[in-house]
Amino acid sequence: MPDLLEVEGISASYGRIQALSNVSLRMPAGSIVALLGGNGAGKTTTLNTISRLVPLTAGSIRFEGQPLNRLQSHHVVRAGISQVPEGREVFRDMSVRENLDMGAYGRSDPAGVRSDLERAFTYFPVLRDRLKQKAGTLSGGEQQMLLIARALMARPRLLLLDEPSLGLSPVLVQKIFDIIARLHADGLSILLVEQNAAVALAASQYAYILENGEIVLEGASDALRQDEAIKRTYLGS
Amino acid sequence: MRILGLLAAMAGLIVLPLISSGYVVYLANLLLTFTVLCLGMHIVIGEAGQFSLAQAAFYGIGIYTSGLANTAFGWPLPLSVLASGLVAALVGLCIGTLALRMRDIYLALATFAFGEAMQWVFLSWTPVTGGPNGLRIPPASLLGFEIVNDRQAYPVVLAITILMIWATVVIARSRLGRAFRAVRESEVAALAMGVSVQTTKLAAFALSAFFAGVAGAMFAIYSTYIHPDSLGFQTTILVLTMVVVGGLGSFSGAIGGAIVFGLISELLRQAPSYQEIIYGLILIVFMMFAPRGLFAFIGDNLKRFARA
Repeated sequence: MPDLLEVEGISASYGRIQALSNVSLRMPAGSIVALLGGNGAGKTTTLNTISRLVPLTAGSIRFEGQPLNRLQSHHVVRAGISQVPEGREVFRDMSVRENLDMGAYGRSDPAGVRSDLERAFTYFPVLRDRLKQKAGTLSGGEQQMLLIARALMARPRLLLLDEPSLGLSPVLVQKIFDIIARLHADGLSILLVEQNAAVALAASQYAYILENGEIVLEGASDALRQDEAIKRTYLGS
Repeated sequence: MRILGLLAAMAGLIVLPLISSGYVVYLANLLLTFTVLCLGMHIVIGEAGQFSLAQAAFYGIGIYTSGLANTAFGWPLPLSVLASGLVAALVGLCIGTLALRMRDIYLALATFAFGEAMQWVFLSWTPVTGGPNGLRIPPASLLGFEIVNDRQAYPVVLAITILMIWATVVIARSRLGRAFRAVRESEVAALAMGVSVQTTKLAAFALSAFFAGVAGAMFAIYSTYIHPDSLGFQTTILVLTMVVVGGLGSFSGAIGGAIVFGLISELLRQAPSYQEIIYGLILIVFMMFAPRGLFAFIGDNLKRFARA
């Protein structure tokens, strides 16, 4: 049986600048895989090649055994992959409700959408009280929750999550990662990009470390947490 | 309360031609036409966030299509109004396909250039537009009845306006309207939601051209003459100013802006040489001090006043 996601030898570039070279990664269904590395290491670019926002120059990407290479970016979500893009991109001037409706944009099963909305509230009860509020007026933590809830409204089988801890207090980071753990327990597969290596390694089963667009290390998250070099470079101890 | 206000406005609009002079009825027709023009600009700029500066060109296309439909083909009014909208939308689709590869200031410049080119076409295509002599527009006919003056045109113009306001509301509440706003807010996020950004922008562009084309047909109902001079950038800027004065992104603002600013511009006709300076000043002042528009500005200040 093929893995949920198989990325093989992909390269990508912005103009003449090589952003990714020969990156390969696999993730089995039902897992959380972390993608770690410093600024500009190519983490977000990797997510963006999977969601077809950035074109590949080499390699292939398969999701559930099907190649993604030919899909246009707005068709990726229909294939079962939801992305929470970097930069906290809520639709600021739209209500929370409209943001969530946008998450279900490609769906034509109103009953299913309604039940998924209720399900999203079980993870993020605070959003129910904010439905009519403009998304731009939410706090940073609430916006992050809205982003995840919005991505869930497409009923994805794979969630691409970009820096959920960015700019949040440790308490909120913990809260978000508790929810990530619950989503995982409920069967969702998550490819997680993080700068905060400590929380990401704790939350994931397997991790890849990127440097200058190349994978320099990979392994089970538990093992990586014990690795001396990792501790020094990424865990700050 | 809101329903009552709406009913009062409706009643006022309906009895208006019975109680007022010919000039007031003419002005009412003109303001209603500008309302529809503003709604079109509201869709492309306010809703979808795409800076199109070609509204006057589509307006002109609507006027000439209507004129042609009347003289050459003798089409009934509803058909020529629809044709005006559709021809404008079709041209909009073609231009949009090219121009929407660009964004922001480049999109604005491309659509501006198209508007200028169209004005040149209006001036040169003498068989259709009358060229520099202008075009005498024959009276429109509805159900065998000829519309020869403003008073007779008014109910038709009002009915079309109400229809277009209704259409704007329906579009805004639809899935497409939501996609417009999503594209305006963040193209990357819209893509991630599965919105085809390019198609959505194109739809907004074509719809706004449709509205401008219909506005052109409305103008052709009550007017007897059109000259390309009034279909240039000045008109586009006038419509843009109306939408900004009313409040960019607000649907009722687009209507209110058309009416309030339409009245101002009519007053300024006494001083044509200062007209554009004053438009420019108003635009700057609003962008600086009331970027959310006149009505939001008044509302905010009333609230502050009530609290004090």
